[in-house]
Amino acid sequence: MTATPAAERRRLAHSLVLLLPAVLFGLLVSVQWRTQSERNELTVRYNTPLLDAAKTLQNEQNTLKIQLAELRAELDQIQTSAATQGGAAKDIQARIDQLKLVAGLSERSGDGVIITLDDARSASASKDIEKSICHNTDLTDIVNQAWRGGAEAIAVNDERIVGSSSIYCVGSTIMVNGTLMSPPFSVVVIGPQNELLATYDDPTQLRDIKQRRDVYGLGFRVSRASSLHVPPYRGALNVRYATPR
Amino acid sequence: MRSNAGVISVTVVALFLGVLAVTQIQAQDVYSRSLQLETPASLTTLIANLSERNNAIKDEILDLRHRTDNARDSIASGKGSLTEAERQLSQLRVFAGMNAVSGAGITVRVEGSFDERALSDLVNELRNAGAEAIAVNTIRVGPRTWFGATPDRALTVDSVPVRGPWQVRAVGSAEVMYVAMTRTGGIIGQFELIYKGTRFDVTRESALELPALATPLR
Repeated sequence: MTATPAAERRRLAHSLVLLLPAVLFGLLVSVQWRTQSERNELTVRYNTPLLDAAKTLQNEQNTLKIQLAELRAELDQIQTSAATQGGAAKDIQARIDQLKLVAGLSERSGDGVIITLDDARSASASKDIEKSICHNTDLTDIVNQAWRGGAEAIAVNDERIVGSSSIYCVGSTIMVNGTLMSPPFSVVVIGPQNELLATYDDPTQLRDIKQRRDVYGLGFRVSRASSLHVPPYRGALNVRYATPR
Repeated sequence: MRSNAGVISVTVVALFLGVLAVTQIQAQDVYSRSLQLETPASLTTLIANLSERNNAIKDEILDLRHRTDNARDSIASGKGSLTEAERQLSQLRVFAGMNAVSGAGITVRVEGSFDERALSDLVNELRNAGAEAIAVNTIRVGPRTWFGATPDRALTVDSVPVRGPWQVRAVGSAEVMYVAMTRTGGIIGQFELIYKGTRFDVTRESALELPALATPLR
């Protein structure tokens, strides 16, 4: 039995139809495999010990911050009991307590707003990675805006923002008060709700973040919230070089 | 029959191909943040930063232990803990920007076009390098300070206009802050690329004098 020329051509056409997807399939499999293997080659040699070191230091910092908080509480207790005797000690203690409240060393509760910031999770993110993810400068802009709106206390993922706080970025990891964190970020702001909402709604402010939200799907949302709570600053006070005049 | 089988196989392959293509795009484009994905260089910087922070906390723990013991001893001997309370008050006043301060540090002089977001980033960078007190021109930067701009291109610090050339002065370790500002790829290098024509000068200072916050915090 020999095939007719027409059937032969049909068979050839079928094979050709399958050829193109097959080649593409092979290409994609190899690209996928290469993406995977390049990452491994680069990271395996140095990253394991470095990762271990970073994690150990972060854990050590957590323990140190607990010790620091305990010592601060102990000293507070000694001071407070001395202050009950009245006189100068009582007056100074009242000023210390007031300063701790405004400088971010005491916890605060109240109404305000919550701002959430997150990397884009949608397909439109693929257009431009840099514009689709959140950067430390987005957080500094959001915090700056909160102070402008009359904020009394701010915390970023439970790290209190104080006079010495920095929002630092290394690679793609963000550090606030020395604590490593990654998106999503929740910025809790205690303060006058209407003023805060108005400052975030102002179209002349945070234009870059709003534009990236609309075009690239960056996660950015501001909402009114009640009974918020921000923890006290847990880091070092670091007053070593500055002397009062 | 044969032609149906062909259509089915093409469909199956096409479907599989579609799934694979989508997976590939996601693998490349959906940004997964994890320490595992950092480069050795980034991890090294992170480690240096963490270790510096931990040392500062350790120093403060030692200092606090000493102060707690002293306060307890003074009370036991009937002297009260006034000295410790005064010391704490003084430290907090510096930390909150309520006192004028002096000390070593650096000055960053900016002459040319600049904006409020860059000023905020510069202050953030100085704080990360351990600045204990900062002022922009004659205005002290406090814990709740915000930066803005006026329509006539002046910058504002807590709504007070400050005009260029700007002098951002920071008290702290002059060496650490100087290196943090001027290192390759550091903030000044980035500014020089973005604000072409603007001049940035960083100088170490042996004695700076910064004013207190104009409006005390409440």
